[in-house]
Amino acid sequence: MQESNKPDLDDSLNVTESHDRMLREAAAVSREKHVDEGGREPVSLWIFASCAVIFIFAGLALGNIGSLGSLFDYDQTVKPGYVRLDLSEDGAQGPPPAEALAVYIKKGQKIYSSKCQGCHGGDGKGGPAYPSLAGSEWALGETQRFSMIILGGLMGPSSSGKDYGVMPSQKAGMTAVDLAGVMTYVRNSFGNEAGDVITEEMAAHALKLAEERSDPNQPLSKDELDEKYLAPLEGEPLDPTMMIDPVSLQPVEGAAG
Amino acid sequence: MSAPSDSPDDIRLRSEIDRSLRHPVMFFFTSGAAWLAVAILLGIISSAKVHSPGFWDSCPWMTYGRVQPAHETALVYGWGCQAAFGMIIWLMSRLSRQPCRNAGTILMAGHVWNLALSLGVIGILAGGGTGMPWMEMPSFAWIPMLLSYIAITIWSMVQFKVRPQGHTYISQWYLMAALIWFPWFFGSAHFLVHGFSGSPLGAAGVNAWFHSAMLLLFFAPVAIGMAYYLVPKVTGRPVYNYALSLIGFWSLAIIAPWAGLQKLTGAPIPNFLPYLGAFAAILFAVPAAVAGINLLKTAAADGETVNVSPTLRFTVWGLVFLLALGAASLLLNSPGIATVTQFTIANYGFDVLGVYGFFSFVAFGAIYFIVPRITRREWLSRRLIKWHFFVSIYGVISIVVVTLFGALMQGVAQETTYDSLWYNASSTVYPYAVLNTVAWCFLLISNFFFFIHLTLMWLRLGRRSSHPTLLVHRHSGSPHGPEGDIDNTGTASAH
Repeated sequence: MQESNKPDLDDSLNVTESHDRMLREAAAVSREKHVDEGGREPVSLWIFASCAVIFIFAGLALGNIGSLGSLFDYDQTVKPGYVRLDLSEDGAQGPPPAEALAVYIKKGQKIYSSKCQGCHGGDGKGGPAYPSLAGSEWALGETQRFSMIILGGLMGPSSSGKDYGVMPSQKAGMTAVDLAGVMTYVRNSFGNEAGDVITEEMAAHALKLAEERSDPNQPLSKDELDEKYLAPLEGEPLDPTMMIDPVSLQPVEGAAG
Repeated sequence: MSAPSDSPDDIRLRSEIDRSLRHPVMFFFTSGAAWLAVAILLGIISSAKVHSPGFWDSCPWMTYGRVQPAHETALVYGWGCQAAFGMIIWLMSRLSRQPCRNAGTILMAGHVWNLALSLGVIGILAGGGTGMPWMEMPSFAWIPMLLSYIAITIWSMVQFKVRPQGHTYISQWYLMAALIWFPWFFGSAHFLVHGFSGSPLGAAGVNAWFHSAMLLLFFAPVAIGMAYYLVPKVTGRPVYNYALSLIGFWSLAIIAPWAGLQKLTGAPIPNFLPYLGAFAAILFAVPAAVAGINLLKTAAADGETVNVSPTLRFTVWGLVFLLALGAASLLLNSPGIATVTQFTIANYGFDVLGVYGFFSFVAFGAIYFIVPRITRREWLSRRLIKWHFFVSIYGVISIVVVTLFGALMQGVAQETTYDSLWYNASSTVYPYAVLNTVAWCFLLISNFFFFIHLTLMWLRLGRRSSHPTLLVHRHSGSPHGPEGDIDNTGTASAH
């Protein structure tokens, strides 16, 4: 092939041709070498070996096996505690999720300040004419009894034995969420540390019990409470640290628990 | 074509081919270099906004969400595609041994391409971007671009059809494949996205496939085909193993169209698509390695020529970047790593490695080879080429290293602080973002040297000499006088 390689015009072209004007102008073209596709060198084994390694990697990805992990392991990609903001309505950003206990307490605080605070006080200590909720056995004890006092009212002696007169029913306009919130708030405020959440489901059970009474707005006495309502409200207990949506109260997808 | 016939007729034919293509090829190269400068400027601005968000924040045209897509659009369609057009029409003419008879049409279509692209980039900066990477231009741009593409390249297909010998060199395989693939994926992807008001999810899937196809089905075959011409041509040595090059071509043709959907891992699309995409993207390393090793083996036999030839120096580094691209494709798409890097700057780094590292270096090599032939002038300055080479290589390597390592940091931060704001994770790459801006400034400097040099050549101000501009002091002691001596072969007649 050597004679076909003409690295330089002046070295390899004969004199007559090199004086041709066209060739002078096309010096770069004239000194070009030829493309030779006759290469037949034996291919090194390591080239095939590296291609084999590439195939192994590709196979692992396709077969979703091996220690490389998986493209579609959602348990791995969406981790516990992962927070996903709610962008559902009109693209507006919903409030960020929070722990269940805090969400219910926040809701209950609003109900308490409108319905309860007038008598029991902002600090829950009551006063001379009203019983204290702080450390109250009935507030912290069986949840059915506590809920029926709120919904039906109370007459006669309270948990401390002292008779404060009649507490009227607070049932008017009370939804299950309101009741759940206010119960959770009272049981976890003013020094009370029940630590649990009264869920919407439990509160709905309480509303059902109240409806089943012959006169739902008739205040209950200690005897009636002890006789019928010394039991917990029915419903799935909720982990107080569970991340829930503050609006829907539903657990956030992919959260712990 | 392997027939060793350096007869005056043969030289005359090659010279005639070069002359017939002078205007369109020089137009594509200089216009591409100008777009490259625009792309780099926009790249500096968008990169600066990552670490200094207050930079020009009062100007809505210069917000990150507009500058970044405008930067990528200018890089891909302004520089990449135009450099590819120049290489395709020149190389196909040479290999098919046909002078170009449609230079005027090609030149006009090139102007249409530039006009559509300019309006598209202005549209992006004005806020009309589509939000889909590499398909950012407003919907008016794609039809004129596709039509001008056809007007530019159809003649190359005709030349291939009427080539004198039945034999086909490997570069022609690659070029023909790219010529056919580009209208296929460009047309179908844009038609599916802009022609139908389908689901946005479907558009995202089409876009992911298009993005991958643009790199693997157009830039890769054009640059590999060009390298298969340049390396044996300049060294004068046979291709290391010609059969291997055919394996490389067919593996690319079989594998590359399947890649792309791995970008949508976790999206609600049929499960097999991301798996198939990752599989194909990893397998892309095979054609990349085969072509890269085959040509590097060819070049390695003549290290002296590689060192002194501007063409080979750029091309060989482009091939090294091709091997790196294959390795990066393998690593970034392996499931364990993909989960970390899927939503990081690694994707950008991969694009830069492919478009600026691999494709552009081969294109620079091709330009340093082609331009002296079609202008009949030699490159003016050894130093300008050297500066262009070294500053480019530092810039590209910096960007690739910075984005890939930064992406790992960002990905790990995203994985470990997923319960806090994403901003916290992205801020871990702050130093990498600063380095990225510096690296783009390097590329701006390198392109300055390149653009000046190319413009002077375009203006026919190149050196009149029969000696090539090599990257050594070789001819200073030659009987032809010191290098740079003007016109030692007589007065050239102007054309």
